[in-house]
Amino acid sequence: MHEGARSVDDGLTGAIDRLAAQLPAQGPIGIFIHHNTLHAFEDEPFEDAVEGAAARLGCEPFLAESRYRDKLASGRILAVDVEAVIDESLEARGGDVVAGAASRRDLWRAIVLYGIPAAAGPELSWILDETDTLTRRRADVPQAARFAAAEPGEPAGRAEEAAALRRLWTACVDAVGRAGAPPTPPLPEPVRHRDWLVAAQGPDVDAWMHPPLIRFLAGYLDQGLAHWPMPARGDGIHGCFLELYDTALASRCGRWARGLPGLVVADRAAARDGAASVQRSLDDLGVARHERDAYLGAELLALRGWAGMVRQLEVRPDRVPTRDLPVTLRGYLAVRLLFERAAIGHAARRMGFRGPLSELRTWLRGRVPLPQASTAAERAWSLFHIAQLCGLDASTVDEWSAADVADLEAELHGLDGVHRRRLLHQAFERTIRHRVYDAVIRHAPRPSPASPAFQAVFCLDEREESFRRHLEEVDPGCETFSTAGFFNVAMYHQGASDAHPRPLCPVAIRPDHYVEEIDLDAEGLAARSRRLRRRASGFLGYNVHLSSRLPARGALLMTLFGWLALLPLVLRVVFPWLSSRWRRVRETASAAPRTRLLLDRVDTPPPMGTYSGFTIREQADFVRRVLDDIGVGDRLSRLVLVLGHGSISLNNPHESAHDCGACGGGRGGPNARAFAQAANDPRVRDQLAAEGLGIDEDTWFVGGQRNTCDNTVTLFDEDLVPARCRTAFDRARAAIDRTRRREAHERCRRFDVPRWYPPLAALAHVQGRAADLAQPRPEYGHATNAFCIVGRRARTRGLFLDRRAFLVSYDPSRDDDGCVLARIMAAGVPVVAGISLEYYFSYVDPVGYGAGTKLPHNVTSLLGVMDGAQSDLRTGLPWQMVEIHEPARLAIVVEAPRDRLWRVVHDNPATERLVRNRWIWIACLDPESGALWELRADRWVARVPQHALPIVHGDSSAWYQGKRGFVAPASIVPATGVRAPDDAPAVLV
Amino acid sequence: MPAASIGWLVLAGVAAPAALFGLLGGASVLNRPLPERWTSRLTAVAMLTACSALGAAFVVSGATLTAPQLLTYGAWSEPGEGGVAIQFLVDGRSLAFGALSAAIAGVVGAFSNRYLHRESGYNRYFVLLAMFVTGMLFVALAGNVEVLFIGWEFIGLSSALLVAFFHERPAPVSNALRVFSVYRISDAAMLSAAVLLHHAAGSDSLALLTGARTSAAGLTQTSATVIALLLIVAVAGKSALLPFSGWLPRAMEGPTPSSAVYYGALSIHAGCFLLLRAAPLFEHALAARILVGALGAATAIFAAIATRVQSDVKSSLAYAALTQVGLIVVEIAIGWYTIAFVHLAGHACFRLLQFLSAPNVLHDLHGMENDRPLPSRGVRPGGSPGVVRQRLYLFALERGFLDPLLDRGIVEAFANVARRLTRFDAWLCGVLMPAPARAGVDRAEVRDD
Repeated sequence: MHEGARSVDDGLTGAIDRLAAQLPAQGPIGIFIHHNTLHAFEDEPFEDAVEGAAARLGCEPFLAESRYRDKLASGRILAVDVEAVIDESLEARGGDVVAGAASRRDLWRAIVLYGIPAAAGPELSWILDETDTLTRRRADVPQAARFAAAEPGEPAGRAEEAAALRRLWTACVDAVGRAGAPPTPPLPEPVRHRDWLVAAQGPDVDAWMHPPLIRFLAGYLDQGLAHWPMPARGDGIHGCFLELYDTALASRCGRWARGLPGLVVADRAAARDGAASVQRSLDDLGVARHERDAYLGAELLALRGWAGMVRQLEVRPDRVPTRDLPVTLRGYLAVRLLFERAAIGHAARRMGFRGPLSELRTWLRGRVPLPQASTAAERAWSLFHIAQLCGLDASTVDEWSAADVADLEAELHGLDGVHRRRLLHQAFERTIRHRVYDAVIRHAPRPSPASPAFQAVFCLDEREESFRRHLEEVDPGCETFSTAGFFNVAMYHQGASDAHPRPLCPVAIRPDHYVEEIDLDAEGLAARSRRLRRRASGFLGYNVHLSSRLPARGALLMTLFGWLALLPLVLRVVFPWLSSRWRRVRETASAAPRTRLLLDRVDTPPPMGTYSGFTIREQADFVRRVLDDIGVGDRLSRLVLVLGHGSISLNNPHESAHDCGACGGGRGGPNARAFAQAANDPRVRDQLAAEGLGIDEDTWFVGGQRNTCDNTVTLFDEDLVPARCRTAFDRARAAIDRTRRREAHERCRRFDVPRWYPPLAALAHVQGRAADLAQPRPEYGHATNAFCIVGRRARTRGLFLDRRAFLVSYDPSRDDDGCVLARIMAAGVPVVAGISLEYYFSYVDPVGYGAGTKLPHNVTSLLGVMDGAQSDLRTGLPWQMVEIHEPARLAIVVEAPRDRLWRVVHDNPATERLVRNRWIWIACLDPESGALWELRADRWVARVPQHALPIVHGDSSAWYQGKRGFVAPASIVPATGVRAPDDAPAVLV
Repeated sequence: MPAASIGWLVLAGVAAPAALFGLLGGASVLNRPLPERWTSRLTAVAMLTACSALGAAFVVSGATLTAPQLLTYGAWSEPGEGGVAIQFLVDGRSLAFGALSAAIAGVVGAFSNRYLHRESGYNRYFVLLAMFVTGMLFVALAGNVEVLFIGWEFIGLSSALLVAFFHERPAPVSNALRVFSVYRISDAAMLSAAVLLHHAAGSDSLALLTGARTSAAGLTQTSATVIALLLIVAVAGKSALLPFSGWLPRAMEGPTPSSAVYYGALSIHAGCFLLLRAAPLFEHALAARILVGALGAATAIFAAIATRVQSDVKSSLAYAALTQVGLIVVEIAIGWYTIAFVHLAGHACFRLLQFLSAPNVLHDLHGMENDRPLPSRGVRPGGSPGVVRQRLYLFALERGFLDPLLDRGIVEAFANVARRLTRFDAWLCGVLMPAPARAGVDRAEVRDD
């Protein structure tokens, strides 16, 4: 009964492994990792991939056409960019004249810019009969076309306009009449029996079998939500299913399930494992060897969220608490097909089919209604609009031959709705990309102070862009850097109060090292009482949680103490800020426990990974690597802050999606702390000094973590800061404190805060959001990310980038062989591209690719969320996280010589594939001249800046305040002499 | 004088949410929905008014009232002669329940204001919430069958519409339809009970049901039993007792706060409260009393088993709530009215908190787990689990197989009758109508799905 692979499976296991690549690669929700939703399609050019995937998965490739038209109207897309994109796409074909009407370029321009409303069937009849389409010219067409269409000498009266349009319509209908018959659309050719049944207007068997299948699967994969774990889970999905459903009761799942017990008994009698059962089901359903992959692929996609989760647990069991649960995708497929055979059998009988299931599809083929060819009116409708857009009158249309109409229809076919959206989308990206290119070109480099008071290293996250900017505004004497937020410490980390270790590193890396946090005074009285209190509160919480689900204990609890629940309810719902305040007061009142990381290698075997702790050699390596990456060299100041980030919010299952992407959806504080601890270690410094990287004796590193939700900054191991660094430390802490307030104020402009908003209230506001049970948008996470700038801070210091740019520190002058750039790109590009593309897809199709609205989400199995009572597992990002986003591929600007960047991009197959297929844009900023080239299809295209870059005197708030939406880049120049008081009221509109 | 002040207070308490409903609903009907800010403020004001007025009435009544008091606010014609009147029957319990309902609705309103911010159905949600609170207060305070029935319908309708809140997906709509169908059964039973009561006692005043006047009303043992049995069906439908329990987890389709206020806190207890009100009637109908007790106990046992295996947080909470509802029904059947009421109120508050923080379950479990893994994270070894455990688990996983049972017993039966009638109708048309006129009829062919 074990699901071990058999040699007789005829490549089945391999086929399933291949097919699994199509499934969403989203892991358990507690460790949310941003990834390209269409990772499996990265081998194709972006536009083709999204269109192909959309057709296959029933999703949207781009925004709706109307959304782009809104952007055109509001100036987010410029018409010149639309024209440029059309020229690029048409190349030499643009000059051809189509059907004597206009050049292809003009025709496309008119259609793309103004569009042809989609209408067919009864809707079209209604439009023709009931609206003024045939009496009034389109109001949105270009003025020139309207004048051209007016017949000479024709007065612009209503009646004349109506008559001319009527004539035009008749002419179009006649032209269609002259042309040949339209091609008949092909018959649908689905693979699954279920799709054939639906096409033949039979019952939907998925609607029957999915509810019990989901219940079974959720119970099987459950990570501890249900009080009773499913029995026999040790047998694998298929084995457990056979144990559980081997009873006549199974037929009670529904009328359709009558055949189910028989199938279970047959599998048991033949002692089939998962793969054998799949094979048996395929034989029974009459699925031939050549269509097997297509069939199984369609089966997997039918519940792709759940199937994807099965796959994730199969491949990466280290990311969940119940690691020893045997999970295989073939086991899932076996169970699914057993359900399906029972359901299809019932559906076939209900439709009157009595033969074996293997012949059902042939039988259904004759029952599928034929698709209809387009009618004359539908064809004339497009021509009618073309004529209006090109300013043609009825007499021109009358001259169209059958060949002309065929040409025009071919043109329209090539420029269908999806293609129009593709061009508009390209133009849209072009507009916003060029804006930031021009800003980077025009921004005057502003070097950091030669001997900074302190330095701070952040994550490359675009939410740190604003924090760094404000920090530098608050204390111009500081210098900031950024690098991937796991600071090259890849580890399993277990906090002092955690029950399970969790990986903290980019998802591509599986850590070898395990690091534990220990309570320093574990045996002290205070620590013991703290531990006791924590355990007691955990015990109490667990018992209340459990009792509330049990009858007798629950009755006692509710009757005696139920009304007490009103207190936290009112506090957390009506006064969230107060409750966050109270928690803060309580925390500061009790001394924080002194803890340390056990960073050094010990011999005890770790619960996860291979080694407990890092050797001195390994510690020296990761310290050196980060210092080299950010290009700081020997310019270390007396105090270096290393700040990871994470996000803590209430009532938010997607909480960890706001955490650090470079830490694989974990919080980067422990990594920063480990880095600082290693960098302060004299043994590590000795090692580094021997290799030529001297760290000054006076330099001290402090690790910390910023909570991007409530803007709290926690600094670790403060007690270890030596007296000689105290002054710098206090200065840094004061600066950070003021930065937190200012940064919160900038974030607040995106929230619905009142018009008048002082920075002090802004901090309280974001703290309240984090503690609010009713808040579905505790923060906006990575939303609006669009750019990534790799280079020296001088290039971006003082440049307002509206929290839209990932920033990576890199000094091209210290990296002649390109090694540093190569490893920065290899580590960083997958993370930032994954974030950007996930936001793209979740925004473009919030229902198909995203998780939809958060409001009905229902946490299931502690692995993910379902919509409402039951549904497929919803992968992707919820709408509330992405609603302010602009879906655009990431544009990466790298400050490096062109040949070096070229080499780096082309030496790394993963990056090269993303760039070649345009899943990301790459541009090169020359370190010497400051000129910018974009890499387009194996050549560099120079950018001549056109957009102006405003120069703003004062601080960031002078530029962003009063603005709600996207704010263009600007150079912020400190106002000399005057410093704005910190809590000066600022006005937001 | 105190009686008069209670009258005014109750009027204010009920009128506030009713006015809110009228205002929000009216604005929506005129296609001029109020902006979010106004909606939330008005809701807060209305709920605060209702809660404080009813709370004050509760305090005053505790000091002055010795027996339940019937308040009549105008009558279109004489009550008792088939006329309609607005009557409230107030005692400590009903006022407390009314005040609690308003308070809970107020908290949920504040919650929803932020939770549903920018949602396209924001206005619709608040209209339905106002409708629901109005209905809840009508049920809590009803003095005659008309008021009770209006309240009962408001609850049912708003509940079904909120289950179908996300009507662009098929699952919420079909689940809402199921909830609505069960509610209709319950409504039909309720209406029959009312008609019977009127027929047997000659009045539709609910004061009949309170202890003081039941005997005087001259209900015979039999009619009391029949009315009680019908009430049981009404209560079982509304409070998801067996065999109607299947709709409860399906109702979790709406936004989290609506699931919380309906199926965690208030609507689920409406049936219990009705039982509490009709308790004197049940004291006259021993058979019905035993039956309702058995039904409550069976529901509690079933739900307690089902909740243990639910692996999604909302179903788990739904069955946990149902467990307590079953127990409350048992307590009422035994006659522990005060305990039952305190249990009901405590449960409403507690479950509301649990439902509202359901999305927080990952956080919560992490906190509870501390440095020791939860027992429920275990993987049971392979091999046969034993017949009892296997069947019990499957029974719980499949929620007692109740839905297929109802489908087979009731839905398919109705569908069959409908299908036959349609065929008969088509045949009749064929006989009565000339051929050309029949073209349209023939096209509307009967599909059996």
